[in-house]
Amino acid sequence: MLGARCPGGTSAHRSICNSDSPPGLGIPRRAMTAHSFALPVIIFTTFWGLIGIAGPWFVPKGPNRGVIITMLVATAVCCYLFWLIAILAQLNPLFGPQLKNETIWYVHFLWE
Amino acid sequence: MQRLGAKLGFVSGLINQGKAEAFGKTLWRACKGHSIVTHAELEGPLEDPETGEVVKWYVFLISFWGEQIGHKVKKICDCYHCHVYPYPNTAEERREIQEGLNTRIQDLYTVLHKTEDYLRQVLCKAAESVYSRVIQVKKMKAIYHMLNMCSFDVTNKCLIAEVWCPEADLHELRLALEEGSRESGATIPSFMNTIPTKETPPTLVRTNKFTEGFQNIVDAYGVGSYREVNPALFTIITFPFLFAVMFGDLGHGFVMFLFALLLVLNEDHPRLSQSQEIMWMFFNGRYILLLMGLFSVYTGLIYNDCFSKSVNLFGSGWNVSAMYSSSHSPAEQRKMTLWNDSVIRHHRVLQLDPSVPGVFRGPYPLGIDPIWNLATNRLTFLNSFKMKMSVILGIIHMTFGVILGIFNHLHFRKKFNIYLVSIPELLFMLCIFGYLIFMIVYKWLVYSAETSRVAPSILIEFINMFLFPASDTGGLYPGQEHVQRLLLVITALSVPVLFLGKPLFLWWLHHGRSCFGVSRSGYTLVRKESEEEVSLLGSHDIEEGNNQVEDGCREVTCEEFNFGEILMTQVIHSIEYCLGCVSNTASYLRLWALSLAHAQLSDVLWAMLMRVGLRVDAAYGVLLLLPVTALFAVLTVFILLIMEGLSAFLHAIRLHWVEFQNKFYVGAGTKFVPFSLRLLSSKFSDDMA
Repeated sequence: MLGARCPGGTSAHRSICNSDSPPGLGIPRRAMTAHSFALPVIIFTTFWGLIGIAGPWFVPKGPNRGVIITMLVATAVCCYLFWLIAILAQLNPLFGPQLKNETIWYVHFLWE
Repeated sequence: MQRLGAKLGFVSGLINQGKAEAFGKTLWRACKGHSIVTHAELEGPLEDPETGEVVKWYVFLISFWGEQIGHKVKKICDCYHCHVYPYPNTAEERREIQEGLNTRIQDLYTVLHKTEDYLRQVLCKAAESVYSRVIQVKKMKAIYHMLNMCSFDVTNKCLIAEVWCPEADLHELRLALEEGSRESGATIPSFMNTIPTKETPPTLVRTNKFTEGFQNIVDAYGVGSYREVNPALFTIITFPFLFAVMFGDLGHGFVMFLFALLLVLNEDHPRLSQSQEIMWMFFNGRYILLLMGLFSVYTGLIYNDCFSKSVNLFGSGWNVSAMYSSSHSPAEQRKMTLWNDSVIRHHRVLQLDPSVPGVFRGPYPLGIDPIWNLATNRLTFLNSFKMKMSVILGIIHMTFGVILGIFNHLHFRKKFNIYLVSIPELLFMLCIFGYLIFMIVYKWLVYSAETSRVAPSILIEFINMFLFPASDTGGLYPGQEHVQRLLLVITALSVPVLFLGKPLFLWWLHHGRSCFGVSRSGYTLVRKESEEEVSLLGSHDIEEGNNQVEDGCREVTCEEFNFGEILMTQVIHSIEYCLGCVSNTASYLRLWALSLAHAQLSDVLWAMLMRVGLRVDAAYGVLLLLPVTALFAVLTVFILLIMEGLSAFLHAIRLHWVEFQNKFYVGAGTKFVPFSLRLLSSKFSDDMA
């Protein structure tokens, strides 16, 4: 799966890789999943949207209602923005991580 | 013969220890050997009645014969300030006197002893009630101090106090006055009138124990002017958030959260609420610490940093196996440089290439991919990410500040300020820095590994926006020059509006209308009269409560209109704003700098301590791990939590006070501090301590 190009998001893509496991190694293969972009966006947008937009309707009446609503909205905006920046920055990487050869061996055998 | 007939005389007395020797010598020289001095030291020092010091005394007995020698001896005794006592001649008299003196001493001792006992009893009784007495005296003093600030009315029989009272509390004030009059049994009740005034009232912001800390942060910079937007409301969230951006570590944030939770759950414990100095500061900021810890946990999750290690929850988005040539078809192998075992063995470091299909499988859904923690070029990626994040957060924060200014203008009914000041400010900020954000996000979305060679540097593009270079580089997107030119034109147009719009408008307003008074709603000043108990007088003809207020509202006067001053103020404000936009945006880069410092410190601590401890292979390594872990914990708390926490706290405060509040906050008010006996209690604990 190539790196996602457009923000519309690629569909979720689950594929079980059929690479040869090295003979003699009984390490169970983790199902290699590709990360979609649309699913986390939907999940997080709805999550922070619930907190920031729907939450204020449920705040009980009282002297602190204004403060609590402001807090909810500000929290939702700040946290959503922060997460969005993090995921957008990694959407289309221009370069990859530089690993030491020991790390490459380790990751190759243990994570994949 | 004549000598033998002379009578033997005695002089006895007491002399200071220091003077005894000199005294003896003088006597010897004066009497030429015709006197005998015997002296003995008194046990126990006694108090000298003249000087009050406690000195040692010598008792002496001088025996002489002859009248003239007796005179000389007496004179010398006088010179030396000895205490002379009569010395009887016969032995019985001496014994009598001695017994009498002994009895007297006994009596005196008894009297002294009893007096001391009595004194002690009285003092103990008084000590039981002295604490409450002190409080009563202090309260009375405070009340009288308040009464001193009142003034007498014309009849000199009642006191008038002019107070500020919140409008919402006027009814309660009336009730309290009635209740006070009723309970004190005054014949004439106290009452109050509201009088309008042109003075600016003090600022009252009602806080509860949660919001008080944040309000204190804002008030430390300056108490808000009357009725202006209170930034503390938003500071409740933005301050811990900006702190967390600089602090971002899951483990450290969690520890901070636990500490604050402990303080909050025990806030009723008397020792905590009356603690001194440093602990008092932590205690007062417990809710701030709580929120800071919570947000730090969240940002630590996004930065994927927990005691400098990353958490792999969803599986990394980077696939190493796809870089091997065995994973690809031979057709693809010829196009790209791929790995095999020998390549890996020969090279110490190798870089993954996202343009190879299958290597990058999608962005990590929650935060930074955990593989970056294992990478040697981790900082290259993180720096780019964090710098852009800081700039984006900063510009949004500042724009929010300008928008709050709009609310200020709306409230004070100066709509012209919105069109002549706020809108040009917003245009200036957004056309330049909002466009920067657009470029950043555009580059993130559009450019990927295939086009990485031609991906332009945002910084260069941004600078070129102003320099109009001759060379026609590719640019970020087609049509970029036109868009940038348009934005620059808008910016260039908004600057003179910002400089001159408001002064010219006010000048036009002033010359177009006859009188331009300050349009503010009159504030109400509450006047309260309290009548003293004048029981000495018979019938009192004190006026009823329907005193007419002397003067109603004062006339609206024509204000002086000083065009030069207004112009100067606006020019200074505009220059400060425009230059401040650039410098403040760069100032937000401290978000990046501090988070980098924190991450690196954390990494160093792990590498120097825990990794060294965990790498020991021998059996004693387990025992070694205990002190190593203890040292790691201690250093984490002191360096990373306390030092870095204070640093991030300070910088977050600076960002709020300068960069955020510059855009809208005036902060020239005074705080509404009503008289309260509760405020005295803190003084009691101080004095008692």
